[in-house]
Amino acid sequence: MSIVAIDVGGTFTDFIYVKSDGSLGYFKVLSTPRSPEIAIINGLKLIGDVEEVIHASTIATNALRGQVGLDLPRVALITTRGFRDIIEIGRQNRPRLYDPFFDKPRPLVPRDLRFEVDERVDYKGNIVKPLNIEEVEALSLKLRELNVESIAIAFLHSYINPIHEFIASSILGKAVSFVSLSHRVVPEPREYERFSTTVVNATLAPLVSRYISRLSDRLKSIGIKRLHLMSSSGGLVDANEVIDRPVQFIESGPAAGVVASAELAKILREPNIISFDMGGTTAKAGTIVDLEFEITSEYEVGGESHHGRIVKGSGYPVRFPFIDLAEVSAGGGTIIWRDEAGALRVGPISAGADPGPVCYGRGGVKPTLTDANLVLGRLGEYLLGGSMRLDREASIKALSKLGDPYEVSREAISLANLEMARAIRLVTVERGLDPERFTLMAFGGAGPQHALDIAEELNIRKVIIPPHPGVFSALGLLMADWRFEARTAFPTNLEDTYRTLEAELAKKIGRVDYYVRYADVRYEGQGWELTIPVGRPAIIDDVRRAFEDKHLSIFGFTLNRDIEVVVARVFAVVTRVKPRIEPPKRPKEFKAKSSRLTYIHDEMVEVPVYWREDLPVGAVVEGPALIEEYDSTTVLLDEWRLTVGELGELRIER
Amino acid sequence: MVSWEIIYKASVFIAEEMGVALKRSAFSPNIKERMDHSCAVLDSRGLIVAQAEHIPVHLGSFRVGVSNVLKWLKDNNVSLEEGDMIILNDPYISGTHLNDVMVLAPVYYKGEIIAYVVNKAHQVDVGGPMPGSMNPNARTIYEEGLIVPPVKMVKRGRVDNDIMRLIVENSKTPKVTLGDLNAQLAANRMGAKRVLELIDKYGLEEVIMGWSKAIDYGRSLALLNLRDWRKGYSKAEDYIELNDEDITIRVLVEVRDDGIRADYTGSSRQVDAPLNAVYGVTFAATSYAIRVAMSSDVPVNEGFYSVIEVNAPEGTIVNPVKPAPVAGGNVETSQRIADVVLRALAELVPDRIPAAGSGTMMNVMIGGYDNERGYWAYYETIGGGTGGRPGKNGVSGVHVNMTNTLNTPIEVAERNYPIIYTTYMIRNGSGGKGLYRGGDGIIRAFKVLKPARLSILADRFKRGPYGLRGGEQGKPGRVVINRIDGRIEEKPSKFTVDLNPGDEVVIETPGGGGWGQ
Repeated sequence: MSIVAIDVGGTFTDFIYVKSDGSLGYFKVLSTPRSPEIAIINGLKLIGDVEEVIHASTIATNALRGQVGLDLPRVALITTRGFRDIIEIGRQNRPRLYDPFFDKPRPLVPRDLRFEVDERVDYKGNIVKPLNIEEVEALSLKLRELNVESIAIAFLHSYINPIHEFIASSILGKAVSFVSLSHRVVPEPREYERFSTTVVNATLAPLVSRYISRLSDRLKSIGIKRLHLMSSSGGLVDANEVIDRPVQFIESGPAAGVVASAELAKILREPNIISFDMGGTTAKAGTIVDLEFEITSEYEVGGESHHGRIVKGSGYPVRFPFIDLAEVSAGGGTIIWRDEAGALRVGPISAGADPGPVCYGRGGVKPTLTDANLVLGRLGEYLLGGSMRLDREASIKALSKLGDPYEVSREAISLANLEMARAIRLVTVERGLDPERFTLMAFGGAGPQHALDIAEELNIRKVIIPPHPGVFSALGLLMADWRFEARTAFPTNLEDTYRTLEAELAKKIGRVDYYVRYADVRYEGQGWELTIPVGRPAIIDDVRRAFEDKHLSIFGFTLNRDIEVVVARVFAVVTRVKPRIEPPKRPKEFKAKSSRLTYIHDEMVEVPVYWREDLPVGAVVEGPALIEEYDSTTVLLDEWRLTVGELGELRIER
Repeated sequence: MVSWEIIYKASVFIAEEMGVALKRSAFSPNIKERMDHSCAVLDSRGLIVAQAEHIPVHLGSFRVGVSNVLKWLKDNNVSLEEGDMIILNDPYISGTHLNDVMVLAPVYYKGEIIAYVVNKAHQVDVGGPMPGSMNPNARTIYEEGLIVPPVKMVKRGRVDNDIMRLIVENSKTPKVTLGDLNAQLAANRMGAKRVLELIDKYGLEEVIMGWSKAIDYGRSLALLNLRDWRKGYSKAEDYIELNDEDITIRVLVEVRDDGIRADYTGSSRQVDAPLNAVYGVTFAATSYAIRVAMSSDVPVNEGFYSVIEVNAPEGTIVNPVKPAPVAGGNVETSQRIADVVLRALAELVPDRIPAAGSGTMMNVMIGGYDNERGYWAYYETIGGGTGGRPGKNGVSGVHVNMTNTLNTPIEVAERNYPIIYTTYMIRNGSGGKGLYRGGDGIIRAFKVLKPARLSILADRFKRGPYGLRGGEQGKPGRVVINRIDGRIEEKPSKFTVDLNPGDEVVIETPGGGGWGQ
């Protein structure tokens, strides 16, 4: 019986599985974007006897980005009188400075489906104006008439006193299939972010719940009963949890790559890692500090990114724990072009998987980073272990339209590397961390090609290419623990609050191995919070000390002021048995399988090409060299030395 | 040889990273959350190579501010040594208003200045009678706050604590000011370090060559954009309200193949109210409007600025002489300058220019004394509608043109101040009618729970934002006070008033003008 992890991406659906003898198997099939479950079932049939499926998907993001075939349901918002436009006004900023034709993201609920009722609670939770029950009852009829499928109920200050949301829900719940309550989805202050998250949740609820029930039915039909899903915060949750709060499923795929890096970091005893995942359309960077991945509390789904960070106001804010990732539009399929004044540019447009790079021969005519890598010899002419042939002549021809194809390739790759190095610098420097002290873990199909260039750009001295870099994210799914989250805003007694939250979680989940407590803390009157780990029992003086230490390290000073806990948060963790990564059994002798002209630093040189599976544990290769494998190529620059580690990972140092 | 694109991109990243460093170590929410700060990298001549895109009014003002400072230093025989940093906020030199504190540092390599790094951040309070240092009643700049001429805050790497204390002790929020000033110094240190790393990596000559090509690129891309514009003259005028007067801003824009000239001859004389826009603001607003009219992604560096010439006669509202007060010139008059330039350009670049946006930042300043909280003061700005655009309607409820800050959440404001909001909604129907409607403004209303004093500094209360091509005006702004005793008071665009507990303030911001019939 196997446990199978499935990561559905835009181009490929990756499968990686643990067989009953503990060994790993993996493969990729083409994705079926309109009905992702088709590719899933097809792949599972190839494996045969499956006990459990762990799943990550981008279906939620794709739906909000307006992907064809994923039509959004009819959603209504019920809110405090005078405040129905909060989700349309947003934070009042515009996402682009100089563009007179900018637009804000279209509100997910149009104005004629945003309803106001009389009610008001103040910031202390006092009822200033009671909820008008007749108004709510009248709405109930109206929602039926309007054929509304899902509603968001969001009142001001409900995070401190949710009574009105409860009452409204008990009345309106009979009229619609899905109800999202703002204090349940995001029990935190800041009305725009809470309302927006609740509306996103209400929008995704019908879609995600239908997808998951369709998928579980298909799985049951082939005898698989257990389905688990990856949340954006890097833990596994069950299907019911996702159906209840689908907002936590949004960045499910990218989270898996960071989890995989963190788990491998533990095995390799590398406490500080930058996880770098470069695929076909984007590159993503996350940090692991002292073996823990970094969590952020907000994300904008469907937003545009600028140098790795999402531009505020360009998407729909979602406040929920997310693994903190910087993302740039740089992947194998990113297009190289010249603007009207002749400057060479890379991205942000991508040829994606269809038509893809010119060398794929599927109709792509615009040169991409993959074409540039191919022209410079950094990529071989065969992919996927020889089953896919690349057309180097076509790449040269396409790049020639922009100038000397070698020059253009070189420059385009440098520009892309600079952009990616910048994203990595952001995720570290923003927190006062120095990237030079980190080890870079590079994966994804294109990650190993660019890893050493980026390491040089950042003065990083150590790089690790994990086993199976092309499906490494999916491996993260097999390595994740269960993590269920609960939180309360403005707790009065800290320890009691945590105990209540933990009791709620225990009731929901059953067996819990341990709890992780956090508090979002600020100085009274400050406009932002820092997330602080909290001990057991929770003692406010300890929280204050930890908060001041962190404040000092990030901001460089502390204040003589009281602190305030804005949110108390608990994760209940249930550990899972991790698959063992077996050291490769290979002969001691190895030699290069061939050699080819490759661009290394400033010149084209003849370099040896090794097949990764020929390299035994302990093998040492001096750069320059190329290491090829099933779905990726590692470019080993001169002055770097590669050693094959105990688990078959490539450790590269200078 | 390394290509200039790489040097240029790396330099933009340096400016951006300076911004991250500033934001990370700043203390005030104004910088941390609203990002009211900007950073730039300049070459050894003081020409802007790369800027981080933050606040438009800062960005354009660097060009004027840096060359003013360098000239001032030369005229006063001050030489910049390695490790020095100059601090100033004198608007007549730095080019915005007193709150915007500017810090400039030379970058030395082998004993010579090879570059400068600079940043500007809006300090919440720089002294003066009003919390927030925007005094609607000021008649001279001396009634606005502390004026700091260019002084060496850092000498050969050592911070001069005397100067630091002098500035900090003038602020009503000294701790915040200290934190934010240190953040500004840190940002420049980071920028200088990164510039030197760039030189170590690529060599001085390559870097200088790369910068000079990046400037050429900005210029040629800007000129390419002008190719599609109609050549010739276009004029426009618009007004700022002061009591019963109209202050005129008049512009004559000339577009040629080799550049653009904006001439403000005929604009009103400077006034003894805080509505004067120093030359730096006028240059920033003019260049902002021109940049908006360009369709491609023109880098905002010296190359772009070099195609623009601004003539603003001395002693006018758009180039006042000391001691005219300037706080509102930065936040209100700057908006009208952008409006008139855009209106003139609408004749020459018709498919690119929207009708007028709300044209006011609607500055709301409120504070008082409360037994529970002690002295409290709160500042917010409120966006409006953008104008209708060629081919689509305007956008509702956003900050337009010269500002782009975030609002303060109601749930946060109510916790911190004795106010309760009664409405926050789109001001339906306030956008001007037209083929493409103007975006709607915002209605934001609150009641005070304790006695308080309210000041508003806004504009466009008498005349709405203009429409274009037969589109109608947007609805003007409006402030009404509903007194607890039943009286209703309609207010002008600039006033100060005392409020009693239970009084409600209803603020309606202008909608954008309509475009086309």
